[in-house]
Amino acid sequence: MLSILIMIPFFCALCAFLPLTKQFRYKLFFVVSLIHATIVLLFWQHLPSPEFNGFLELDQLGLIVLSIISVLYLFVSVFMAGYFEHEQRSNRTVTACLLALLSTMTLASASRHMGLSWVAVETSTLFSAPLISFHRNQESLEATWKYLLICSVGIALALMGTFFLAIAAHDVHTLLLPTLLNNASSLSVNWLKLSVIFLLVGYGCKMGLAPTHSWKPEAYGQATGMVAVLMAGAVTQCSFLALMRVGQICSKTGLTDFYSSILILTGLLSLGVAAIFILSERNIKRAFAYSSIEHMGLLVLGLGLGGVGVFGAVFHMINNALAKVIMFLTAGSIAQKYGSSRVDEVRGVIHVYPVTGMFLIVALLAGTGMFPFATFHSELMILNAAVISKHYILCVFAVVCLGLMFIGMARIILDVVFGQPTQPVLAKKENFFMNFPIGIAALLLIGLGLWVPTFLEKVIRHAALLTGF
Amino acid sequence: MTTWIDASCIFIVFLSLGILATYRIVGIIKIFAAQSFVLGLVLIFLHAHNLSTRDIVISLGTMGLKGVLVPYILFWAIRHVSMRSEIKPVIGFGTSIVSGALLIAGAFWISLSLKLPGKPVSDLILPCSLATVLLGFMIMVTRTRAVTQVLGYLIMENGIFLFALSLFDVMPAMIELGILLDIFVAVFIMAIIVNNINEEFEQAPASVSRSKMGETF
Repeated sequence: MLSILIMIPFFCALCAFLPLTKQFRYKLFFVVSLIHATIVLLFWQHLPSPEFNGFLELDQLGLIVLSIISVLYLFVSVFMAGYFEHEQRSNRTVTACLLALLSTMTLASASRHMGLSWVAVETSTLFSAPLISFHRNQESLEATWKYLLICSVGIALALMGTFFLAIAAHDVHTLLLPTLLNNASSLSVNWLKLSVIFLLVGYGCKMGLAPTHSWKPEAYGQATGMVAVLMAGAVTQCSFLALMRVGQICSKTGLTDFYSSILILTGLLSLGVAAIFILSERNIKRAFAYSSIEHMGLLVLGLGLGGVGVFGAVFHMINNALAKVIMFLTAGSIAQKYGSSRVDEVRGVIHVYPVTGMFLIVALLAGTGMFPFATFHSELMILNAAVISKHYILCVFAVVCLGLMFIGMARIILDVVFGQPTQPVLAKKENFFMNFPIGIAALLLIGLGLWVPTFLEKVIRHAALLTGF
Repeated sequence: MTTWIDASCIFIVFLSLGILATYRIVGIIKIFAAQSFVLGLVLIFLHAHNLSTRDIVISLGTMGLKGVLVPYILFWAIRHVSMRSEIKPVIGFGTSIVSGALLIAGAFWISLSLKLPGKPVSDLILPCSLATVLLGFMIMVTRTRAVTQVLGYLIMENGIFLFALSLFDVMPAMIELGILLDIFVAVFIMAIIVNNINEEFEQAPASVSRSKMGETF
């Protein structure tokens, strides 16, 4: 079943390259997203059986990441219907790359071999690069180049880390995760430490953790809203999944303290960098990119703190993805209406487009973790973990950073929503297909904030226990 | 066989150092192709006593993809570019060679404290691969043309690959081939973007992009 789930989008991606009409390509994308979501829904009842000698197997962590990917694709596929109504460009490359990305991300979430995970994450980098340069102007090409080069180097370091892991596992003769975990005592600790550092730098670069975050504002600023949603909500989660797998190995080999101290340090650095840089930002999409850096920092912080923090981090993966849907799809819808996402050119949105303006306010609240959005709860759990583990200064620092993030975001968003109205360049009406997924994502996020269903809580708890932190 | 392996490893480092001293892009691409061929040979030398089909496939794969196809794609990417030499590198050629030599010394010094488990075939594989990775890094950060940066990335990848050869039994052949294919696709996409950059920036009015062309692309 897993291999079918990987192959369907891949073959459809090849089909999208054929000379087809725009409408047909769009329908293909929608149908594939729907099929993917249906199969993933079936996995919630029964986890699929392992395939290819255990190279592909889905555990609870993988299931959560896979479900996030699937849900985001559903949202994007509905949004796309509205977006391409007003877009003159061909959707050939976009559809093909999006489908190929779906296939590689599915592979990344189902892979149980550290080498195969690397191949999947690297391929997802490659297929997301052409998506950023959709507009083919100088700025977007520069952003694509920055993304491709920085992430390729980062991912190359992760490859080196994977090879160091292979040396550490010299006596085990495989990089299959279950075998590694069962024979953890025979791993060479010194090589494992070296490997952990390289893997964290490599996958951290792909996640956009500071100090290797510099591609993020450029790439998210230039990518269309749909692509930014998938990159911030799904592609980054695949790298975080790889980091959690490393955590699993560390916890079995007694390196928990070593790993968590680096995670906490990187997490705090990302929070601090995002909080400082957002204050001088004047572009909505770039501001949201800094918010994404902040959320990635929170994720690794939660993992590093352990205990309830890991539960918070896994829960935050889901909430962050939904919040990113609201944020970037709204930003994408504004960018299409005004032909820009700079504060100076986009003002007084609520007077011209009341629904989009309201969604921007929702994006502000969801993105900065306000009640009743579920991001509030997961951030609170991560802070709670800091208090429980007696990291008081760390907790204060994190709260200050979150406060600064709120100020930075509110400054821009309130200006854009309520400022003196500017004339939209392209003057289009509100589009139902573009607003519908944003509304649903907001409702889901509020719903999760008020009540987490028992089955979901059970899976999150199980997934958090898997990391062993 | 150890002599041959040692000689190839040192040759690989020399070729990377040679790239630091070359400023014509065509020359750099050719040196990279030569380096990839030697890399394919190292694999044959390593397993010379009992050569399996898998070794031959991966060796030929390396030579074919990195030694022939990748250089071909890079030549395609720069086919319309009139300025075919490095402009304004961040540090001069003399300085970069001296720093390159220091990096090689550093790589050998670091590898003294790293002990590979089991009995390694050659003591030079680890320091030489580290040196190649570092030199590749250096080419990436000190050169200003997009194509040269791609080549720096590829040199780095060659270094990592040389390292991977010494632990062949842990990685299944499929994954090894997947990694090779990934690198190939990476270069393919980078070449397309380099091509787009060239087209976009050559059409643009000179006043807008002239400064950027020299600095970034």
